[in-house]
Amino acid sequence: MSVTLTVNGSLLTLEAPPAARLLDVLRERLGLTGTKEGCGEGECGACTVLLDGVPVNACLVAFGQCDGREVTTVEGLGSTAHLTPLQEAMVTEGGAQCGICTPGMLLSAEALLRERPRPTEPEIREAIAGNVCRCTGYQRIVNAVSEAAKKREALP
Amino acid sequence: MAPSIGTSVPRVDGPAKVRGSARYVDDLVLPGMLHGATVRSDVARGRLLGVDLDPAFDWTGITVVTADDVPVNAVPLIENDQPVLAKDEIRHAYEPVALLACEDRLRLAQAMRHVTLRVAPLPPVLTIDDALAAREAIRGADNVIKRYRITKGRGGAAVESCEVVVRGVYETGWQEHVYIEPNGMVAWWDGDTARVEGSLQCPYYVQKGIKGVFGLPDEGVDVTQAVTGGGFGGKEEYPTLVALHALLLARKSGRPVKLVYGRQEDVEASTKRHPSRVEIASGCDRDGTLRAVSVRVLFDGGAYVTLTPVVLSRGALHACGAYRWEDVTVEALAVATNTPPNGAFRGFGAPQTVWAIERHLDRVARTLGVDPVTLKRKNLLRLGDTTATGQTLKESVGVEECVEKALEASGYLEKRARGPIVTGRTARGIGAAVFLHGAGFTGSGEKYLKGKVAVDLLPGGRARVRTASTDIGQGTETVFRQIAADGLGIGVEDVDFAVPSTANVPDSGPTVASRTVMVVGSIVDAAARELRARLEAEETACGATRSAAWERLAADPARATSLVQYEPPPGVVWDDATYSGDAYPAYGWACDVAEVEVDLDTFETKVTGFWAAVDVGRVINPTLCAGQVEGGTLQAIGWALTEKLVTKDGKILNPRMTNYIVPTSLDAPPFTTTLVEAAYSRGPGGAKGVGELPMDGGAPAVAAAIEHATGLVLDRVPMLPEDLFEASVKGGAR
Amino acid sequence: MSVAGLALHPFTAPKSLDEALALLAERAAKSEKTVLLAGGTDWFVERHVAPAEEAGTLPLVLDVSRLDALRGISLGGDTLGGDTLRIGAAATYLEIRKDARVAARCPLLAATARDVGALQIQARGTLGGNLASGSPAADGVTALAALDATLVLASARGTRRVPISGFYTGYRKSVLLADELVEAVEVALPPEGSPFAWRKVGTRQAQAISKVAFAGLAVVAGGRLARLGLGMASVAPTVALLPTTRALGLSKPLAEISDADVEKAVLADVSPIDDVRSTAAYRRHVAVRLVQRFFGELRGS
Repeated sequence: MSVTLTVNGSLLTLEAPPAARLLDVLRERLGLTGTKEGCGEGECGACTVLLDGVPVNACLVAFGQCDGREVTTVEGLGSTAHLTPLQEAMVTEGGAQCGICTPGMLLSAEALLRERPRPTEPEIREAIAGNVCRCTGYQRIVNAVSEAAKKREALP
Repeated sequence: MAPSIGTSVPRVDGPAKVRGSARYVDDLVLPGMLHGATVRSDVARGRLLGVDLDPAFDWTGITVVTADDVPVNAVPLIENDQPVLAKDEIRHAYEPVALLACEDRLRLAQAMRHVTLRVAPLPPVLTIDDALAAREAIRGADNVIKRYRITKGRGGAAVESCEVVVRGVYETGWQEHVYIEPNGMVAWWDGDTARVEGSLQCPYYVQKGIKGVFGLPDEGVDVTQAVTGGGFGGKEEYPTLVALHALLLARKSGRPVKLVYGRQEDVEASTKRHPSRVEIASGCDRDGTLRAVSVRVLFDGGAYVTLTPVVLSRGALHACGAYRWEDVTVEALAVATNTPPNGAFRGFGAPQTVWAIERHLDRVARTLGVDPVTLKRKNLLRLGDTTATGQTLKESVGVEECVEKALEASGYLEKRARGPIVTGRTARGIGAAVFLHGAGFTGSGEKYLKGKVAVDLLPGGRARVRTASTDIGQGTETVFRQIAADGLGIGVEDVDFAVPSTANVPDSGPTVASRTVMVVGSIVDAAARELRARLEAEETACGATRSAAWERLAADPARATSLVQYEPPPGVVWDDATYSGDAYPAYGWACDVAEVEVDLDTFETKVTGFWAAVDVGRVINPTLCAGQVEGGTLQAIGWALTEKLVTKDGKILNPRMTNYIVPTSLDAPPFTTTLVEAAYSRGPGGAKGVGELPMDGGAPAVAAAIEHATGLVLDRVPMLPEDLFEASVKGGAR
Repeated sequence: MSVAGLALHPFTAPKSLDEALALLAERAAKSEKTVLLAGGTDWFVERHVAPAEEAGTLPLVLDVSRLDALRGISLGGDTLGGDTLRIGAAATYLEIRKDARVAARCPLLAATARDVGALQIQARGTLGGNLASGSPAADGVTALAALDATLVLASARGTRRVPISGFYTGYRKSVLLADELVEAVEVALPPEGSPFAWRKVGTRQAQAISKVAFAGLAVVAGGRLARLGLGMASVAPTVALLPTTRALGLSKPLAEISDADVEKAVLADVSPIDDVRSTAAYRRHVAVRLVQRFFGELRGS
């Protein structure tokens, strides 16, 4: 099936089986391996992408459901030249250890910050409740999102 | 140049991870690659009569491997008792029997349904008690894998003559690592050379396994670590089996093979924390001075030996906790059962025995009518005291400072004295644990390991660290650069860290046992200092500037590299035969305080606050160090409250992330972490180990808090709401 | 493993509800299986854990997630002077949560939507999907039970309305015919500010399947309950409506309904089992306590 969708700002038309998971199309057809598979059943959030700006588990989305839609993956945050304040804060605050949950985590946090530029700690925890991290204990991820919120506010 | 040690250098591999450009094994694609899958036993025990391939299925393009294809069908480890693929018998559910590979994943999935294992079932041994009863003998006549006995003074017999005698039984269940990245390997052959890249902690362990099974020399096996998405011990020894399977398929098919586990398969088949039962009888004076203790430690090793002897050893060596005892007997036993083999998991036996001794002292305190922390503080090991193995603690004992700081940060004493706070149907309480964790390999372990590190001078004023120690999230890549940078007197940004591959890094020993900074870091430091000395000598000899000297040495292969082997500190004396002496060169110490709210109707426990004060000797990188404390503590809290592996007939009923429950951000408490530095003279900058220590205290601290809040005494991990409910029905709660 | 087989599924995304219903009818007549796909939060999980299918037996995946006719949320008057909330079967839990009218007039449903999975699941999951899957643990269905919702079932033959109490006939079995889909749910709303309860006791604070979940809705007038709706998850083969407890609640003044009365009624209404998540004894205890708490709040109000 031919699907036209925007991925990280680029308009693409792709032929791929429509019932295939968006996760597999991203990773294997488009080579965007930043989105990870941790469980395959929507429990871990490692495959989180933004679909029309809303965080979803790409392992539960059919490619055929993406026609005319916008997908943002971790590769669509920042650029090769620079990191966004959120990405930087995730590094400096210790929110990333092994890094496997990090792409999904960043997208959930990004969606939150776009909607709520100054989130409280409970709001941050709720926003990332679908992103399981086994390394950090979450405290430093929460700190990173708070820090990023401050930095984004300070931008001109 | 300002020193790097002690500063929170942002993790060097961070940018790639936040960009999504870090390459984990499942991101790797090799041309012509096949996908691999494993056919596993459905039953816990039986005679394997045959592996049948359905003749009606089209097997074109599908590679099949069975035990007959394995040159030496035994995984080299402590004992070589585990087959690479089962041949005549099945000893646990999910035991690997056959391997399939195909370019097309759908054909592969379909082929999996067309393989039948013919098994004549036998009665399985499924519990520690089954094993001890030995009605079925699955290992020797008595099902015992290993025994240890530790004795001090008059031994446990002295308990009975003490003023106050207290007894208790403490149990813990399995724990699954749930690294968010499952196990996986990519393998291929270059002529007779085996090449493997994947998710692992110990490239040389994998190399050793491959050498043994395929009969290859060192140069014939090349193992490289891919960026690894969590390990926690679960990728210490287990990846060897995955690598062997991938290589077998690669050899038979002539193609590269990628073998990556699905989550369910990973939970089912890979190693887990050993379930335990610990029986303690202790004697003390009426004033709370601890005198004698007798501890019986029982671990369930599962179907094969794997690392059970070492896990049991560490469990036994931590069984007396952070306390002073005059007379000790620890009898430790690991038994075999027909369950998937258990193995390394952060803490490595200590969480089980520390759970027991901490809960036991909580019980002793209750018997004496004193606060547990009062009792524990009275009996803490100090400098000059001897441990249960007769080790005199000569330096680096920061436990009292940890206790003071944790109590102060949490307000424990006032909160504890106030009693539980009941508001409506919620009860709030606070509890503490005090504990230790030996850093490095036990006893003579480091001497046998002979770990090595190389540091190279590179042109352009740069340097490179080459070590088999891997970064699995804990920050090795960053802290080793910091240590090397300070040793050389340069900036951390001028230091590289080589990808751990057996082709170009020396064997530093495995990334385990909280040894990475203390042991391997110390030789990174030594190598860097040695190079600095060479630079200084070169400057003097040739009247050169530092940078000119650098370029000269960097260009000279004979002088560019410093290769250093670990020398255990003198005066560390351990006797394997009597299991006595200096068990570890140094100990990390900590005090955890947990605050909980328990819903008195649903018995759900919420951890509302957690304070940890941890003596790590010297903090190399505060952010990364605190990250280890918090991450390890949350794993301990998960183990304490929600992580229960449910089994039936040796099979796991909850092998998925939907039903094996690990904490989300809404389950995690806010953490307050205090790092204490009681320097250890032989660690880089004074550093000891930190990776595992946080795993040991979370569960008893939470249990003590639940007890304070509700009066419910729980001696078994996990403490699910159903368990609190059962306890309340039996004992009557508020 | 069997996600590899997903590629083989025929798939279609009809442009209108009529087109979808026609296709459904055509296939039902030939006994051809169709999967109605909305958020995929159940179906993809089922496919993931199922073994690989043989190519010949694959159902058609019919994407209904973008049919506007199934997605709207609207508030309207009914013929009896009350207000009806109508939620399209393919509206997501996130859309339900964010809707100001739902927040104001049906806070029970907003509270429930917030406890479904986590944000990523709420962004995709739908009432229609959960109703059709028939899990007795479905949070959204539990709230609908307490709301005494009416389900609007559509087919090429027309529409019919079924009360939620008549929808399920057994474990994962409903009266939904092979040519039908759930078009919308309709709720006769209580007056604004009516007391309600939503309490999910799960395996953890997010991404949890309930051990017990309780939904309650009441209208109190003169010390008696003028309306009482109850729903409970994970205590029976289907979402439980607690009929004995409802009858108790409506039978006498609130002040005369004791905790012991409630316990007796609830125990008659639930039949929980031991399973991998929890125990029957625990579930019974929690079920009783949650309902007792609700009645206690109602007595106080």
